Amino acid sequence: MKTALRLKALQIGMLSGLIILGVGLFETQVIRGGHYRKASEQNRIRLIRLEAPRGNILDRSGNLIATSRPAYNVYAIPEDFDPRDIPNLSQLLDLPENQIRFRISQARFASFTPVLLKQDVSKEMAMQIEEHRPDLAGVFIQIGMIRTYPQGEVAAHIVGYIGKISREEFATLDPSVYHYDAWIGRSGIERVFDSYLRGEDGGRQLEVNARGAPIRLLGEVDPRPGSDLHLTLDTKLEARLRPLVVNKRSAVLVLDLKSGGLLAAVSTPGFDPNVFVTPGRSSERLSLIGSKERPLLDRSLNGLYPPGSIFKLVTAVAALETGTITPHTTFECPGYFRFGPKSRPFKCWFSEGHGRVDLYTALERSCNVYFYNVGRLLGEKRLADYARKLGFGSQVPFELPTADGLVPDAEWKKNIRHDKWYQGETITLAIGQSYLLVSPLQILRLVAAIATDGRVFQPKLVKDDFVSIKADKKFSVRPETFKALRQGMLQVVASDKGTGQLARLNFTKLAAKTGTAQAPPGEAHAWFGGFFPYDDPEIAMIVFVERGKSGGITSGQIAKKVAHIYHDLYSPAVS
Amino acid sequence: MISIVPRFLKGIYWPVVFLTILLTALGIITIYSASFRGGGDYASKQLIWFLMGLCIFLMTISVGYRSFLNLSYIFYVITIALLLWVLILGEARSGAQRWIMLGSFAVQPSEFSKIATILMLANFLSNRSALQHQKRTLIACLILVGLPAILVLKQPDLGSALVFTPVMLAMIFLWGMKIRYFIFLFLTGTASMPFLWHVLKPYQQKRLLVFINPSIDPIGASYTAIQSKIAVGSGGLLGKGWLQGTQTQLDFVPEHHTDFIFSVIGEEFGFLGAIFLLLLFGLLIVYAFRIVNHTTDFRARLLALGIAMAFSFQIFVNIGMTIGMAPITGLPLPFISYGGSALVANFFAFGLLVSIYKERSIF
Repeated sequence: MKTALRLKALQIGMLSGLIILGVGLFETQVIRGGHYRKASEQNRIRLIRLEAPRGNILDRSGNLIATSRPAYNVYAIPEDFDPRDIPNLSQLLDLPENQIRFRISQARFASFTPVLLKQDVSKEMAMQIEEHRPDLAGVFIQIGMIRTYPQGEVAAHIVGYIGKISREEFATLDPSVYHYDAWIGRSGIERVFDSYLRGEDGGRQLEVNARGAPIRLLGEVDPRPGSDLHLTLDTKLEARLRPLVVNKRSAVLVLDLKSGGLLAAVSTPGFDPNVFVTPGRSSERLSLIGSKERPLLDRSLNGLYPPGSIFKLVTAVAALETGTITPHTTFECPGYFRFGPKSRPFKCWFSEGHGRVDLYTALERSCNVYFYNVGRLLGEKRLADYARKLGFGSQVPFELPTADGLVPDAEWKKNIRHDKWYQGETITLAIGQSYLLVSPLQILRLVAAIATDGRVFQPKLVKDDFVSIKADKKFSVRPETFKALRQGMLQVVASDKGTGQLARLNFTKLAAKTGTAQAPPGEAHAWFGGFFPYDDPEIAMIVFVERGKSGGITSGQIAKKVAHIYHDLYSPAVS
Repeated sequence: MISIVPRFLKGIYWPVVFLTILLTALGIITIYSASFRGGGDYASKQLIWFLMGLCIFLMTISVGYRSFLNLSYIFYVITIALLLWVLILGEARSGAQRWIMLGSFAVQPSEFSKIATILMLANFLSNRSALQHQKRTLIACLILVGLPAILVLKQPDLGSALVFTPVMLAMIFLWGMKIRYFIFLFLTGTASMPFLWHVLKPYQQKRLLVFINPSIDPIGASYTAIQSKIAVGSGGLLGKGWLQGTQTQLDFVPEHHTDFIFSVIGEEFGFLGAIFLLLLFGLLIVYAFRIVNHTTDFRARLLALGIAMAFSFQIFVNIGMTIGMAPITGLPLPFISYGGSALVANFFAFGLLVSIYKERSIF
């Protein structure tokens, strides 16, 4: 009985839903039908999207790196457009007729959405179109913004560039944010901070007459402009650094140790990001993408190379921290190292041998045999663990994605290479060879930490407070260890037998470590990582030259010039 | 062989068969009008889906609803797995992950999860007495329904996720849940509104806000609402005629072959056409209740009621949104909207109904 009652109630409920709909339909279609009929006949409401201006990207002193400039764009609304006007329009726009036809047919599914016919036309052309507008139904000019990178190659890798979204992206992204012709950050800052830079598009609801000319503005939503982004970079500095490494494949990183902000991140060969945003430069775009020199790769953040002797800093940290050696522990360097009397010798780079050396001297002269001994005492596992503790083998927590690199150990070799780890690999790992791969940014982090007793270990790129990158764990290394390394690094430059003596400065004390990393086939990679002034470090820098032959010579000389340029810009006439 | 056919046809509830076929045919005619200019040949595709639906329909009737109820646990688990799969690997279309590609067919598991959940609930509720354990049953039902509903909402498919709520309410109501529990559900539902609001995507929030105040977003969400209302209203009493609707043909109303198909019917066939469609739907509901009353199997009653509820809720929301009586949530109009999974699932559901009628005398 109760069930029957409840069933009745449910049936009445559902049917009354339909009756309500019927009443609603009667109201909409019969009572107000005339009103809506008129509305549909006069329905000439067009939606025009108003693109939000993209935020600027500025350097530390407010110089523009990426901004937007006004451009005249020619649009047509396919529904209002008369195909008979194509020849005329083709002449005016200097655009082939089939191009115009193609573009208009592309938007066939949204025939009331304006299609872009030609972007960034000259002012004269825009005026001509305006004059002929009465004969060209559905064609109009709208001032749009075009991205421009006024400094060209400077900071191009960091800032990145934008591009038009692809069909696939349009299908997957939120259509209320990304319309079918939208720009989207493709790399670097432009990509990572896209949602922040892009703002929110607005729109205009226009009523148009039968020829498609607007007669009344019905509604408007203002676009919300994208926000500006301030970087820690100093473009003036970078602009002067780039000539030092032009025609090389290289990376130069300069870090302000007082603020932790990255001042310069040079990567050569560079590219002009304007190529990606300027209509009509697509052939340049293709040659950039296809180039064997890989100009689009940011070598400073994402280049991965064997570190060579600069990695001895890591070996030294591991040995000092584990108590394997003290700075005064000495080993004899006869110019080679053997595991046993009959095993093959591992050579020092200086075949006559360094004699009996302690840690300071070993760093100063970059003695391989000393670190072979240290490596053997440490073992591959502890060495690899310390390398990972110091941030190698994983992404640096940074505003941009960076390469993670590789720290090998026995377990890695078994899992990936399916091979046994050999003793010889432990000692070559200790001098930064083996399978090791690091990025210049990872080395910069290490040098910065050594210079500041571990205070600065996480470089930043964006000045604005809203950006917070995940803070990494501080390196747990004793201050005495850092101090010993600083002492050794000072000797590298200050001693007349030091490998970095070519970088010696006349105005202050520079401390550094060089690296000449074997990477056959081809010449060795040249590393130089240092900081100055020794007593109160302000700057840490990395100079890396791919196939640069010698860290001490090639990179050392460049590093000296880097220091001079920095000094020029930042300490004017202190003498 | 020859003797099997009449036996199979014996006891078939013909009005339901005719009505579903008539509705689908109406749908195909409307889909043609909505899409013939844009290309894509949706009408022919829907015809193929219709034939497939008929096969499922006949198969369901010959297998009988009891087997499906007995296996409801398995169906339920499978559809949950498919929903999870869709979330993880599904083919993304217009920002939502709702499809699984089976060869060249795109299958939308949310359509099948509705029926699987109804089967599951019917089986579950009929095994429990309404005289005791009301609280426990309610909690169990909330979990059984909540799981697929949340997964569907995640896709995000707000419309399909909403269907689960009235279906569950109707079924536990029939089962004999005490009225005070409904009051309790209503109060907790109202209290958790602010929380649920944040679960929604920004565009879904916008659509709901626009429903309350259409002037909030004149170029975005309410543009659709206004244009579809103009479409339906401008149809007037008799309509503009097939293929003659300007609102539809000139693309003022988006998605007019799927979710906004009713705006095409309203515009091209007018009030009379729309009322005719409502009458067909009303008859289907009446027949569904006749089937409920005809059977003495309580499981079958719950099942048939759940299907009727899901069906009428979708009709109400879908037609309601085209004339501003319901917020815009992407829900297809049963049997009419383009969409293979929905059509096949609808034929499956009504196959279950017909089979309930056919097997009513077997005890």
